[in-house]
Amino acid sequence: MRAMTQVAVPHIETSGKPAFPGGTFLAIVKRDCPTCVLVMPVLREIERHIEHLGGTLQVHVQDDVTLAAGFSHAYDDIVLATSYRYNIDTVPTLIRLKDGREDARVVGWLRSEWQSLTGIAALGEGLPAYRPGCGSKTLDPGMPARLKVKYGNSGLASRRIEVPPLSDPVETCYERGWSDGLPVVPPTEERVLEMLDGTARSPNEVIGLIPPNLVPCTVEKVAINAVMAGCRPEHMPVVLTAIEAALMPAFGLHGVLATTNACTPVIMVNGPIARAIGMNAKGNVFGQGNRANAAIGRTLQLVVRNVGGGRPGEIDRSVFGSPAKYSFCFAEDEDDPRWESYAVSLGYSPRASTVTIFPGDGITQTIDHISRKPEDLCRSYAGCIRAIYHTGHIIGVQAFLAIAQEHATVFYDAGWSKARVKEELLELLKIPVREVVPGRSGLSGLTVEEKADADNLIPKFKNGTFNIIRAGGSAGKYSAIISSIGGRGSIEPVTKEIK
Amino acid sequence: MHDIRGLEQLGIVAVGVATTEFKVAAAAQSQALGYDPAVVFVRHPIQDRTREEIRALADSALEQILANLTAL
Amino acid sequence: MPENILLDPTAETAAAIVPRLARPQSIAGKTIGLFDIAKMRGDEFLDRLDELLTARGYVVKRYRKKHFTHLAPIELKQRIKSECDLVIEGLAD
Repeated sequence: MRAMTQVAVPHIETSGKPAFPGGTFLAIVKRDCPTCVLVMPVLREIERHIEHLGGTLQVHVQDDVTLAAGFSHAYDDIVLATSYRYNIDTVPTLIRLKDGREDARVVGWLRSEWQSLTGIAALGEGLPAYRPGCGSKTLDPGMPARLKVKYGNSGLASRRIEVPPLSDPVETCYERGWSDGLPVVPPTEERVLEMLDGTARSPNEVIGLIPPNLVPCTVEKVAINAVMAGCRPEHMPVVLTAIEAALMPAFGLHGVLATTNACTPVIMVNGPIARAIGMNAKGNVFGQGNRANAAIGRTLQLVVRNVGGGRPGEIDRSVFGSPAKYSFCFAEDEDDPRWESYAVSLGYSPRASTVTIFPGDGITQTIDHISRKPEDLCRSYAGCIRAIYHTGHIIGVQAFLAIAQEHATVFYDAGWSKARVKEELLELLKIPVREVVPGRSGLSGLTVEEKADADNLIPKFKNGTFNIIRAGGSAGKYSAIISSIGGRGSIEPVTKEIK
Repeated sequence: MHDIRGLEQLGIVAVGVATTEFKVAAAAQSQALGYDPAVVFVRHPIQDRTREEIRALADSALEQILANLTAL
Repeated sequence: MPENILLDPTAETAAAIVPRLARPQSIAGKTIGLFDIAKMRGDEFLDRLDELLTARGYVVKRYRKKHFTHLAPIELKQRIKSECDLVIEGLAD
């Protein structure tokens, strides 16, 4: 016997008791369903039979009430209030009420079950024995969230803000100070509910305390800001993990927010989720144009602004800032297996998806069209990296070096691992004491022994971290440096797995 | 009310002057707009006053108006 | 979808109402705009304020919108903003 593929299998949910005469029945149907159209004559039979016994059949139509023309109790359920109330997922559904409450129901058309439910022998004899039902309109795209807001208890705890009559919701968001300067998507209840569908976590779960005001931030608040930022629900797992990572003490988020430096949290994603949600790791990787990159990064910034209270001119004392403070989020390029990804080098499985947060103040490029040997390319890099903040600045400076494909090929062809490149660079990035700047960016951080000899060599990254990643487009002999203040024990890169 | 909001949105400190007749409406508009502007109220009515009476109203309102323009 | 109800994205420590602009510590010698919303007799009230403020050393500039039922045009508001430090609007009755 050929297996049947069907939209919905008719079934009966019943207490098992025999049907009683009379009573109230509810039928929920829609014209755009061949099975519903098929059973209309059956419903007429039921109505005749039941009315004769003093009962009632209500017919509720989800799309075109004329389908129920001629019935004694026909209802237009285009607003889907009844369908929502009775939790209809398939049409036709026939419900038997006892004392006003649901006693049993049948879904789809199965003659034997309809006969049993109604107690009408020989009901629907002229019809095929069964036909599957169709999806209820309550399950149309976007409808579950909309109906939940309209009829249900959305379960959202945040204060409701009314947009003044005749006002533009986008302007209201600006007026209330919620925007980073660019328009935000107005966070309606429906949009927030749909965003929350992107995570299994409960809306009232607190994910952490957001600086500078150390405010408890719920999943719901994250979802509201994610809506404003332009996220899709499938971005939520990355967003939540990014915020949790940024709150890890080692990252020192408060310091990043309150500094006079231009730096800001940078979000880097590793693992399968990057491709799954369409992130960019290639051409223009740190720039505009990719929704996931843009919106995930922006959400973190908006959460800091709106939940944490971190704003320029207040706690944020940054002298320059940078466009990175709108959003700086990307995926590492993991396509070439010759170098392991950042996450794998930390010990994560290649099948794991992770979010890394590190501080960054924008990008500086290194151009080298000539070098074909890895040592030469490293010397080019070293000249640029040495100059971060000042050629003699060695305390509280750190960097990520993003190597694009053409430069990476130089290392691949020579068989150099990422670790080898890093080792070479750190060796080149040693600065004689005589060139180290005075003060807390240099000499103040050295020991008496170190300072004793002007020829002593001090690492550029004396207490700062230095990491190499792969990112960027395939054409162009460039690499990019993302520098920052901070270092071990103050502001460090942190990584968290997305669960 | 809308004008005062519009002016403050442009970044200029604003205060409105209205008669006491306007108090209830002003409160309702505040609520609806989600914005509470500075308003000084003078005695109603205005339309049937003499010129001297209107000048006297301005005299009596001046200090309150200035107070609403400064941080105190 | 209706967009008239929004969820508050903030920590909700501030009132739901948008606050007024912060007032300056001192307004000595500032330029004050008197903005006539064009209701009858309002000009007489503002005329007297003009005299009083000028006598106190403020620079006074006068503005008027065409009709009290209309919102002030953006150009007028921008002009007030660019020419004045503060503005007094009246007289609503």
